[in-house]
Amino acid sequence: MKIDILALIKKSIIIFLIIGVIMIISSPIIGDDLSPNSLWWIEPIAYLGGSIFIVSCILLYIINYFYDKKIEDNKNIKSWSRVTQDYFDTFAHDMGRPLRRILGKEREVRAVIKETESKVPRMVTELIDEIEQQSPNFRLMIENVRVLVDLENPNAKPSSEPVEPASVIRNITDRYFYVGKEKGVDLVWWADPSDFGIVFGDASALDHIVTNIVDNATKFANKQIEISLIKDENYYYVKVWDDGQGIEKSHLPHIFNRGWTPELAARSEKQSSGIGLFIADSLTTFCGGTLDVNSNFSKTNEDKGTTFILRLPLDNRSK
Amino acid sequence: MNNLSEKNNNQKILVVDDEHMSDLMRSVLRRLEIDGFKTIVVKPKGTMGTGDEYEIQTLFALEEYHPDAILLDVRFGEYDTDRFKGLSILKKIVDRNNKIPVLMFTQYAQGPYRDTAVTATLSVDANVDFIDKLASPEEVVLRLRRLIGSAPEKVMIGDLFEIDSDNSAVYAIVDGKKEIVKDVQGMKLEILKELAAALYRSEGELVPFSKLERFSFGEDSRASLRVRIRELKISLGKSIGREFSANELIINVRNRGYRLIHPE
Repeated sequence: MKIDILALIKKSIIIFLIIGVIMIISSPIIGDDLSPNSLWWIEPIAYLGGSIFIVSCILLYIINYFYDKKIEDNKNIKSWSRVTQDYFDTFAHDMGRPLRRILGKEREVRAVIKETESKVPRMVTELIDEIEQQSPNFRLMIENVRVLVDLENPNAKPSSEPVEPASVIRNITDRYFYVGKEKGVDLVWWADPSDFGIVFGDASALDHIVTNIVDNATKFANKQIEISLIKDENYYYVKVWDDGQGIEKSHLPHIFNRGWTPELAARSEKQSSGIGLFIADSLTTFCGGTLDVNSNFSKTNEDKGTTFILRLPLDNRSK
Repeated sequence: MNNLSEKNNNQKILVVDDEHMSDLMRSVLRRLEIDGFKTIVVKPKGTMGTGDEYEIQTLFALEEYHPDAILLDVRFGEYDTDRFKGLSILKKIVDRNNKIPVLMFTQYAQGPYRDTAVTATLSVDANVDFIDKLASPEEVVLRLRRLIGSAPEKVMIGDLFEIDSDNSAVYAIVDGKKEIVKDVQGMKLEILKELAAALYRSEGELVPFSKLERFSFGEDSRASLRVRIRELKISLGKSIGREFSANELIINVRNRGYRLIHPE
């Protein structure tokens, strides 16, 4: 728990101020006269109380200045967050417009080809498949940029709300199932127990972490991706396995680095931005979880493949 | 997805989107109709096509057609005042009927608390979900179907089988004619219904052993389940005169559970 030191100091000063007033008021009862016949006949305890009162007033004035400044700063941070969100709304809407038009046309062409059963050159089907497959990428790209900015906010903290992880995984599977199918990749998922129930956590973060992992698996899987959801006493785990050729041992320490992609190591053209797994890892840490990877690298071996294991607390309310 | 449910009982979907004529929305409408939904598109009577005009027409349509679900966009037109008009329409819909499933199109980066913030303004049991506007038509239909929630009484598995939950029967479809598969009864039927329900919810969903083992007995319930699944596949195969291999119809996924897939 974060302690607000300024508020604590302010409270202490107010207590001293009250003590000072009490001392002044009670001085005739509890104090002895210092010089009853002179002008300064007031009891010494009143002098002391008065001094405490005056010093407390000065300190309170100073601390209030800093306290108000802090509140103002916090307000600015909140409005900065709102401004960022507004910016992304406009950004996503305007960036999305041409893509919506392209996707709309592509889906119309696809429907016409299917309805008329016409034979089209392979290049054309490859083009429309590519457009469709890039659509989740685009959606994820906009989300990734927003999350990157949000993670920079020093006051950000994960939300704690009832979440149905099985429902989140199911929605992600829906998103990638048809993309995978077109690439010949089968996507399977399960929850064990199947009535997985509710956890307390950040639904948006969970969705975003798993989406990035699944998106990554879709790029490298050969034929199969499996997503499983399990739990123990304190944590729940999302495991994403793909049957791709795996990750080379020398690459493993870098895969969560910002901007790192396998193409970077091979010095070839980058196929992705290399921020997906970095964001997944950063967001996991932000939510108090861990993200690990196990991989068997082989170009021929049947045991090859990669598993990402996400571990998150079943209830983040106590953190 | 194909032929999964029998015409979805002609469930009516109210579509409220000022871009309903766009190619993107047309592909969604087409997919809905292929899957047996009846679509009702809200069109404003005024010439401006403002959010207010859509709101009035939506509330009229709600009374007139009693739709089974609503597809609603967030943003209407380019007017700044209509930027989140869909949310105000959503609130009015839910105030009138909080049971009606509403699938809301968003075309924005989700934002950390947006969905939560929106749903918090609605009544607790409002049946509202959100989907990106770039989602594939298949994804939209799948989410909508889950939101409506009621599994159809009859589920089709490819073009070959029909599971009739009401009459507890499985039919094989041979040359367009339905014939009851007498061998699939009792526990075997329950297993098939469980697998079909998972397929209906999400095509990639596997049913773990832990859920299926209650339909098998004996010391080795896993082995007993394996036998029942094999018998089930043989019975179904026999009814249409073919034999299903290990990778067809019902498959065992890496010793985790079973999954029903549409037969070729």
